[in-house]
Amino acid sequence: MSFFEYLALNRAEVLSSTLEHVWLVAVSSGLAIAIGVPAGILLTRRPRLRAPILGFANVVQTIPSLALFGFLIPLPFIGGIGARTAIVALVLYGLLPLIRNTYTGITSVDPAVREAAHGMGMTDAQVLWLVELRLAAPVILAGVRIAVVLGVGIGTIAAAIGGGGLGEFIFRGVAMVNSAVILAGAVPAALLALIADGGLHLLERRLDWRR
Amino acid sequence: MPDLIQFRDVSYVVNGRALLGPVSLSVREGERLVLLGKSGAGKTTALRLINALLLPSAGEVSVSGRSTRDWDPVRLRRRIGYVIQEIGLFPHMSVERNVGLVPRLERWPAQQVRERVADLLQLVGLAPGEFARRLPHQLSGGQRQRVGVARALAADPPMLLCDEPFGAVDPLARQELQAEFRSLTERLGKTVVFVTHDVREAVALASRIALLDQGRLVFAGTVDQFNATGDARVTALRDLL
Amino acid sequence: MKRSSSAARAKLQRAKRRTSALLPLLPLLPLLASACSRPDAIVVGSKNFTESMLLGEIVAQQLERYQLRVERKLYLGGTFVCHEAIKAGQIDVYVEYTGTAYSAILVLPATTDAAQVWRAVDSTYAARWNLKWAEPLGFNNTFAMLIRRRDAERLGIRTLSQAVRYARTWRPAFGYEFVEREDGYQGLLKAYGLTFAARPAVMDLGLSYKALAEGRADIIAGNSTDGQVAALDLFQLEDDRHYFPPYEAAPVVRRDLFTRFPAARGALAKLGGTITEEKMRQLNYQVDVAHRPAIEVAREFLAGVEK
Repeated sequence: MSFFEYLALNRAEVLSSTLEHVWLVAVSSGLAIAIGVPAGILLTRRPRLRAPILGFANVVQTIPSLALFGFLIPLPFIGGIGARTAIVALVLYGLLPLIRNTYTGITSVDPAVREAAHGMGMTDAQVLWLVELRLAAPVILAGVRIAVVLGVGIGTIAAAIGGGGLGEFIFRGVAMVNSAVILAGAVPAALLALIADGGLHLLERRLDWRR
Repeated sequence: MPDLIQFRDVSYVVNGRALLGPVSLSVREGERLVLLGKSGAGKTTALRLINALLLPSAGEVSVSGRSTRDWDPVRLRRRIGYVIQEIGLFPHMSVERNVGLVPRLERWPAQQVRERVADLLQLVGLAPGEFARRLPHQLSGGQRQRVGVARALAADPPMLLCDEPFGAVDPLARQELQAEFRSLTERLGKTVVFVTHDVREAVALASRIALLDQGRLVFAGTVDQFNATGDARVTALRDLL
Repeated sequence: MKRSSSAARAKLQRAKRRTSALLPLLPLLPLLASACSRPDAIVVGSKNFTESMLLGEIVAQQLERYQLRVERKLYLGGTFVCHEAIKAGQIDVYVEYTGTAYSAILVLPATTDAAQVWRAVDSTYAARWNLKWAEPLGFNNTFAMLIRRRDAERLGIRTLSQAVRYARTWRPAFGYEFVEREDGYQGLLKAYGLTFAARPAVMDLGLSYKALAEGRADIIAGNSTDGQVAALDLFQLEDDRHYFPPYEAAPVVRRDLFTRFPAARGALAKLGGTITEEKMRQLNYQVDVAHRPAIEVAREFLAGVEK
């Protein structure tokens, strides 16, 4: 059976898996942003935390997904089997680009601009919100883009722990030695990655104050 | 006139090295004090001690009779206009937003902020219609400095601190800026502390000059006194600068 | 096609990925092999997962014990790579599973009759490709329904039939292959009249072992010779209705091997029946879990095999 025949026969299932995939990536990216951006900000305020936190995020990136799942299965609340564990893993994988880009974006703000902001009587929160984050926005958003595109790609591993998504077709296809089934997962995943990349790139350009 | 700013035996030490002091100095209301000296003489340090970006290692800096240690730094800084080199403008904000920033932080009504910005741009010689919506990188060096001055004046602070604001501007525009700055601050009755390493700029702007060398105050007096003094240390530095 | 990885299902996804990654290289294999094989040595091949490689090493060392020169081409990729290689004479022997040959290579419908499978592969291999099946090694690597040993002891059950009345409360976790295959999950439910507490969590096979051991699942479909069975203290429920097809392991040999190297016949015959399922499990455990070199594990094993 060719890829297109398979797709035509299973379009409802492919569509629902695609939506499931989008959901997995959206939830995990959202959580990764909610954790990674504040963590990146924290690093700019507490330089001593830089080495341990970036080191942790770096090490997480190098753990193979199956091994990471292995670690997560026994953990209460965040572990077990199913979508939740997959999301935890995806969040962990997404942290590095977010923390690193937030940190880099803020630290590369011109010190004179920061001094002017303080000198004009901005509170620390105002300096962060009105100046540093706005100036770092394109760099942070580039980190978001990397994390989301990465999430679409490695989101396929959710299927390794019963988390659903497009990876199911890939795993099933590999088990059945049927490339049409593999492609039914891989092609929509690639399209999702391209769409996410393009969309976020546009947003990134709109937020770029240098435009 | 009362002393608005007062340094009492102030020193500032980093890693055992004194960047400034001990220095005693006072700035009276309405005067334009120029801190003159070579780079590394402690001028910028002295300036930052005034708006509590730095706190003294010893001695006391007081503003309006209150020690900078006791001021809420945010409240203190909003009473003080601050102009630094051109890069101090926020690159992501339009001229209008840069100038209107402190009034907005002080929660002025929007309409009042708009009017204030227009007035200030006019005051520093920039047509609001033409410049309000530009971003800093769309301005010339001199125009950026004018915006910087307008921004510092926005919330009508009684005093201005200026750290070599015209340093990066070409000499012709610079003279013009100096003249305008002098007449503007005179007209508005602002107290100004102005840092420069340029003797001619100091003479052009100051009502009083304080000469710093290696963290020490070697001279303080009027422009006439500065020109007339025979003090060897002053004349040596004067010729050098 | 479906059975191509019958034994490979014992291994993790990584092995499967490697198989498919190597498939495009298939046409290059004869070139590669002819460039370096020598006619005065027996070429031993294996597939690309631990058990096959370990069995290849055992066969190779056994031949060496009989003063035969051996060239190893272990880790060749999947079933098809090995099959094409032995047909083309690029390897002389590798260990295959009867069930894999029956369904993946001969493409015959699944059957649970071990004798019928053996007859079919033995005669067809001889007639079509001049290949001979040597003495079976003694174990059957098939699907194994696994539960925690302490559960088996607490409930006092040994077989799948006995498990049916408890299975209602069990949460199953199965690998993709087991769920997809017609002789996997669906057939199992019918054959034993099983029902579970929930639909199976479909996940990576290797992770399902972990999920079972950690109490996140109560029954999984593993492989009868997997080293994890012993390592994680699991219990294999006996397939008392003989639902799963046989996957007996035996060396497949080129006919001309025994004329070129007469001593090889006796050497391979001596291996017949020497590896029980329990033994194979231990051997896999030594390599997969204890991370010992296959060469060493094979040598130790052969020390206990009569020459």
